[in-house]
Amino acid sequence: MKPVAHVLFALALAGVQAALLRWLGGGSFSLALPAACVIYVALHGGNVDGSISAAGVGYVMDLMGGSPKGLMTFLAVALFLAVRATSAAVDVRSRSGFAALSGLGALFLSVGALLLTRYTAPPEAAPGAILLPRILGEAVLTGALSPIVLAGLRRVDGLFHREEAGLLR
Amino acid sequence: MFALLKRYRELILVAVLLLVPLGVFFAHAKAPSDRSRLDRAVVWLATPLEKGIGWTIGGVMRGWSGYVALRGAHDRAEKLAVRVQALELERQQLLAERTEAERLRKLLAFAQESPERRYVGARVIGVRLGTAGRQLLTVDRGADDGIARMMPVVVADGVVGHVTSVSASSADVLVLTDSTSSIAVRVDRTRARANVRGLGKPDGAKLEYALRTEDMIEGDVLVTSGTDGVFPRGLPVGKVTQLNRTGHGLFQDARVIPAVDVTRLEEVLVVTAWERSGDLLPAALAPEAIK
Repeated sequence: MKPVAHVLFALALAGVQAALLRWLGGGSFSLALPAACVIYVALHGGNVDGSISAAGVGYVMDLMGGSPKGLMTFLAVALFLAVRATSAAVDVRSRSGFAALSGLGALFLSVGALLLTRYTAPPEAAPGAILLPRILGEAVLTGALSPIVLAGLRRVDGLFHREEAGLLR
Repeated sequence: MFALLKRYRELILVAVLLLVPLGVFFAHAKAPSDRSRLDRAVVWLATPLEKGIGWTIGGVMRGWSGYVALRGAHDRAEKLAVRVQALELERQQLLAERTEAERLRKLLAFAQESPERRYVGARVIGVRLGTAGRQLLTVDRGADDGIARMMPVVVADGVVGHVTSVSASSADVLVLTDSTSSIAVRVDRTRARANVRGLGKPDGAKLEYALRTEDMIEGDVLVTSGTDGVFPRGLPVGKVTQLNRTGHGLFQDARVIPAVDVTRLEEVLVVTAWERSGDLLPAALAPEAIK
C-alpha cells in the first residue's frame, strides 16, 4: 500500500505544483517537487517498495509533465538507485541534507531528461544548453521547498506505522 | 529456476522497472502516442485537485485584492478625486483654447482671402441685443487702433454690422439685425438687388425693395452688393426665407436668416480699408479707359 500512497502523494504534489506555478510566476520558473519523493523513498524505503514507488512517481511526472512516455519513469528509478547507492556512504537525516539531495535529484532528473531528449529528438528540435540556467533554478527551488515534501511524506508514512504489541515506550 | 528468481527477485524487479520505461521511451520518443486509459484515469484523478487548488488560491487572492489590499483606498480615492477635478478644469481650459484657436484660424483664413483689404481684429467685450434700444456689440478696439465710424465689421461667415460710434479704446458695432441697419445686397444666384433691414431682434431681418418681377426663391444666398459705400461687395449677409410674392404691388416680401449668429460672436474683424466698386472694374471698362 505504501507505494500507492507515495504515488498518490506525488500526484497530489504535481497538482499543487501545477496550480501554484499557474498563480505564482505564471511559468517564469519551474519546480520538480516529485523528485523529493524519489529521494525520500530512496532514503527511507525498501528495495522493492521503494523502486516501485520511484517508478510510480516517475510515471506521474511523465504524465503531469508531458514528457515522452517512460522518460521520467526510467530516470526516477535511476535516481532511486543512485541515491540508494550513495546513501550508504552519506548519512542524510537532517532537513538541510534532504534539501540538498533533493536539489541534486532534481538536477539529475532534468539533466538526464535533457540528454536523453537530445539523443532522440531531431537536431532542429533538440533542447540545448540554453535550458541550463532554468534547470539550475529549478534544482535550487526544489531543494528549498523539499522540507515541506519531507514533512508530508513523513505524515503519509505515519499512516502505515503500526504499534508493536507489548512494546513499551 | 524459481529459486534463482526468488533469490534475485529484487534485482530483477529493479532491472525491469529501469529497463521497461527506457524501452518505452525509445519506442515512443520519435512518434509520441496518445494517452492510455490508465493515463487518462490518473489525469482524471488529478484534475479536481488542480481545480480545487486553483479555486482556493484564486479565492485567497481575490479576497486579498478585494478587501485587504483596499486598505488606504479611501485616501487614494480622495486624492484621485482632487486630481480628477484639477485635470477636468485643465481639460475644459484646453478645450476652450482649442475652440478659440479654431475660430481665430478661420478668421485669419478669411482675412487672407482678400489681401487688398485691411483688417483689425477685435474681441467682443459687450453685448446689447435687448428688445429695447439698439442692437449693439462693443469691441475692444477704438480710434487708437485705427477704427472709425461706418467701418464694416465681419467674420468668416459673413457680415456682422458696421461701427456706429468710436471711443479711444473701444467701438460700438451696430449689428445687421438692428432695425436701423440697412445693407444693400444682391441675390448671389441672379444678381437681383434688394436691401436687408434688421427686425430689432438678433435672429431676424427682412428683405426690402426687392422688385416683384425679380427671380428670387427661398434659400437664395444674399451677398453685399457694395453699392451702399459701407460694405465691400460679395460678403454673405443671409438667406432668403418666407418669401411672399403677392399679385399686386411693386415689391416682394421675404424674411432673411442672417449668415452670422450675432449672439455667439467672440472675435470679429473690422475692415479698415477695402477695394471700392470702381477699383473692381476690368481695365477696359474703367472710367479713364472709356474717356
